[in-house]
Amino acid sequence: MPVQSRWMIRFSLVYLTVGVSLGVVMLVHKAFPIHPAVWLLLPVHIQILIWGWIIQFTLGTAYWILPRFLKGASRGNEAFSWLVVIALNAGILLNLLSFILGIPLLGKAGLILQTISVALFVLSHWKRITSYNK
Amino acid sequence: MPKISRLFIKTGLLYFILSLLLRVFIDFFTTFPLSVLIPLFWHALMLGWITQIIMGVSIWMFPGRPRNEGFKAQKLSWLTYLFLNTGLVLRVISSPFVELSDLKFWSILLSASALLQLTAVIFYVFEMWPRIQSKKQRIRNRKKKS
Repeated sequence: MPVQSRWMIRFSLVYLTVGVSLGVVMLVHKAFPIHPAVWLLLPVHIQILIWGWIIQFTLGTAYWILPRFLKGASRGNEAFSWLVVIALNAGILLNLLSFILGIPLLGKAGLILQTISVALFVLSHWKRITSYNK
Repeated sequence: MPKISRLFIKTGLLYFILSLLLRVFIDFFTTFPLSVLIPLFWHALMLGWITQIIMGVSIWMFPGRPRNEGFKAQKLSWLTYLFLNTGLVLRVISSPFVELSDLKFWSILLSASALLQLTAVIFYVFEMWPRIQSKKQRIRNRKKKS
């Protein structure tokens, strides 16, 4: 498993634990009200679990498991794959900061980074979606 | 594919159908409180379907899978499955009653369902973390075992 995948999958497991923990707080609050501000965690919970867990785990695993190139760098441009990891996680963190600090501009910057990350992933993996069986 | 992965994936597929049926039910019976049903739909889809499929496939595909079958050899994976699905079922049962009934029992059941799901996630993380290995680590671990 390449180092980029290992980082993404480890990050995603951390996000899964944090995201579900926030879900527990909200569900317990539904049963035994703690504080009305608990519902402010909802967008954080969604961002962490969809981007941090599901999307990050999927991209990390795909980078590892898709068919490799027969010539040159086996998984394509290394710098591209690092940019995917960095842009995705910076985007998630900016979104989380936007929710916590209440600065919508950070959320927009985060979304742009997440879009760049996904676009880079698609670009660098398009040709890996292939079969070498004739 | 190990039995536990097959179980995860088949249960995930059932949740996929159930969540979509729930979505159809929501659209046709709008008199039922949506604040209860919409979160149930999303959790059946994201946790019951997508997360469960991811767990089943990763337990199967990631390096370092135990070769023997059964609860003893794959304890953490089985515990993940049992806790996650008990938690999900308890949530589906208790969630509507927390809004509709004053009985504290339903609130306790809902809280228990949340804790069961978190425990399942912790079991899964403990199972997968050591299996995130480079090729070198995988070869080294194989040599150690043999």
